[in-house]
Amino acid sequence: MAALKAGVASVALMASVGSAMAAGDLIIAMPANNEPASLDGHIDPYQSTWLINSLITDPLVILAPDGTYIPGLATEWSVSEDGMTWSFTLREGITFHDGEPFNAEAVRANLERVLAPETASAQLASDIGQIASIETDGETGLTITYDSPWVTLLDALRRAPMWSPAALEAAAPGDMAAILVGTGPFQFVDWTQNDNITLERWDDYAGATAISEEPGPVGLDSVTIRFVGESAVLGQVLATGEANMVYTLPPLFSDQYVDNPDYTLMSRGQAGTGLQMVMNVSSPPLDDIRVRQALLLAKDSAAANDILYDGLYQASDGPLNNIHPCYWDGAAEMYPYDPDRAAALLDDAGWILGDDGMRVAQGVAGVEDGTPLTVRYSTLHHQEIGEVFQAQMRSVGIDLQIEVVPGPVQLDMVQRRDFELMYERQRSPSPLILDQVWNSAYDEPGGWAWTGYADPELDEILNQLRGVFDDAERCDLAVEAQQIIMENALMLPTLSQPIIVGLDASVEGFTMGAEGNWFFLHNTSISE
Amino acid sequence: MGRYLLSRLLQLVPVLILVSLIVFAVMRLLPGDPALLMLSGAEGGAITPERLNELREQMGMNEPVLTQYFNFIWGAVQGDLGSSIRFQVPVVELILGRFGSTLELAVAGLLVAIAIGMPLGMLAAARQGGWVDTLCMTLSYVGSSMPVYWLGLLLVLLFSFTLRWLPSAGGGSLEALILPAFTLGLLSAGVLARLIRSSMLEVGTEDYMRTARAKGLYPRMVIIRHGLKNAMIPVLTMMGLQFGALLAGTVVTETVFSRPGLGRLIVDAILSKDYPLVQGAILFLAVVYLLVNLAVDIAYAWLDPRIRYGS
Repeated sequence: MAALKAGVASVALMASVGSAMAAGDLIIAMPANNEPASLDGHIDPYQSTWLINSLITDPLVILAPDGTYIPGLATEWSVSEDGMTWSFTLREGITFHDGEPFNAEAVRANLERVLAPETASAQLASDIGQIASIETDGETGLTITYDSPWVTLLDALRRAPMWSPAALEAAAPGDMAAILVGTGPFQFVDWTQNDNITLERWDDYAGATAISEEPGPVGLDSVTIRFVGESAVLGQVLATGEANMVYTLPPLFSDQYVDNPDYTLMSRGQAGTGLQMVMNVSSPPLDDIRVRQALLLAKDSAAANDILYDGLYQASDGPLNNIHPCYWDGAAEMYPYDPDRAAALLDDAGWILGDDGMRVAQGVAGVEDGTPLTVRYSTLHHQEIGEVFQAQMRSVGIDLQIEVVPGPVQLDMVQRRDFELMYERQRSPSPLILDQVWNSAYDEPGGWAWTGYADPELDEILNQLRGVFDDAERCDLAVEAQQIIMENALMLPTLSQPIIVGLDASVEGFTMGAEGNWFFLHNTSISE
Repeated sequence: MGRYLLSRLLQLVPVLILVSLIVFAVMRLLPGDPALLMLSGAEGGAITPERLNELREQMGMNEPVLTQYFNFIWGAVQGDLGSSIRFQVPVVELILGRFGSTLELAVAGLLVAIAIGMPLGMLAAARQGGWVDTLCMTLSYVGSSMPVYWLGLLLVLLFSFTLRWLPSAGGGSLEALILPAFTLGLLSAGVLARLIRSSMLEVGTEDYMRTARAKGLYPRMVIIRHGLKNAMIPVLTMMGLQFGALLAGTVVTETVFSRPGLGRLIVDAILSKDYPLVQGAILFLAVVYLLVNLAVDIAYAWLDPRIRYGS
């Protein structure tokens, strides 16, 4: 954790600006693109939804800041040797905001709702997996059984919100105030879409989970999450006093807070794939491994980081980024920045330099002679990284074309396999994300395996990931998979985006989660 | 007048049918599959073709396209625009919830445009050919040619970041409305100023103006009582059209200032292929726009008795 502090005189905040902030009212500014579509984490597939849910309802298990699982609404758990049966003991005496008791039946009702087809859960259902049976034993005993090993259940449950079954029963679809009745430190008050979400303290909160330092209700009176669409504005709301906290502060605006004793910046990497670009290997020019390797050798990510982000982004050199627990460091050595080698590979592949310094085909299979070497770089955001690569690759004669595509277009291009380089980011400290992106079983509509690459050996390694308990053993498998992916040059790593959180001096006891996209307000208070 | 009104209202029907057809067709011609979108954007997790099909069934996407269209129209006639795919609440509820904020912004923008554009245009007309005229017209050109986005950020930079007088983001308060209203209004102010100037100059040469002056009325009286009222006729038409431009401008303004509103709602809905929401919201805006222009036409009759309607 980088808490950056030093001393420069600060500008006195004018209380007249915006909404005057009372003590105990925490105002968090977030990028507008973090605003969920729905706020029901049973349905919605976004990290931000689950995060906001975690303020309203505690999950069964909590992923602590140190990366271990600690008790939430479950006090203990165990899994059978074959990885197919999970047993949980639940906390006693917990109630939902509507006074209904929290017990094993309530957990069962929640899990059944997530898995019901009519819920149309976009993500949680596949994370929890196909449960064979759920058995309850009294108020606090719960056993979940699978037909095949499912060792990743805790990672799914840490994000699964628990809502009051009685409230769910009575709520109309989409009526968030009626649905979001949890057991957590804050009660849901209101959501004005494209503007803000407001929560207020629940006075009967037990504070009984392992994340709470003190029993009883939390120290904040209310939380307002404001969604800010303009990044320049997001970079300034702390300074203008319009928010006490900025979640995902744009790195370019961090300067004014870095050496200022009135603010604290926390930076946390997001374990996952980084901002990776996957390659379409099923058609020219990227069906030739030499061209793919040339792309990897012709870009310099570190230079892009310095140029664009003052070096504040993090390195990502392979299918899992460099901060991932299962990162394979051989990836970086395999493709150092080496334009000469890139040029030699391209010559070898039949892409020869034309008069204008750009390459054209000469005797390339399936390509008409004279066709320019054009590679599309299709991304949802961070196109500036592509623009730096574009300049770097031009020096070896590759014409990189940057295009920003909206989500629907991205999925459409992927389905038609009409792309060369396509942005595809997954974020999780689990190596299972490799399975989703690289297992050819998921090369189907709605699947995440986009490259068209199929390798039985790679699939076999990835298939084993779900059944292995031991973290070290899973990382060994993940390393094998990463080696195959990099040897075949199937993706172009770029950089990894850290999450920077800015706080003003009044905020105390704020806790960042183990991942950049998570935080806790259980122990947070605001001083005058 | 009553008959005129009725015939004008009936004329709206084919326009609305055309709008609904276009929106309906465009949404379906655009790439992307809403069911797939709903299941994607996630942090991993594989989607099976079965789940995809289940969801399409739920969304009514497996029905024939014509059936889907007629269902939409039949609902719309009864004031039911269906349910948003993403938010799972009635589209009408979403639209009405947001429209207040957008209307507030558009009206405030129009007021700013009138407050700045009218005096500027009248001053320029009164001082035709002099340096005041040149200055006023230069200002109006600058105003009307500035990109909304850039202007909005400049105002934020000055009034929020540097002077700290006004909030830079959000909605819900009068304070938060000032900067967006100016951002939006300055553009229309330039257009209005130029139009008022040319309109006033044209009216100034009319016979009734000469008569009024010959009667010995004060020049100011002549301009306001006789000139302005007549000069307002083309200006009014322009205002009707400008109101449409203002509504369109709210999309960008709402984004820059992070205001909740219909503009942003539509943009988000388009990006997420939320068919019912896009169709409903655009149809709603089309109705608003047509009604505003109808109101403008009716105002003519009041301003200019020479216009005889329905005969």
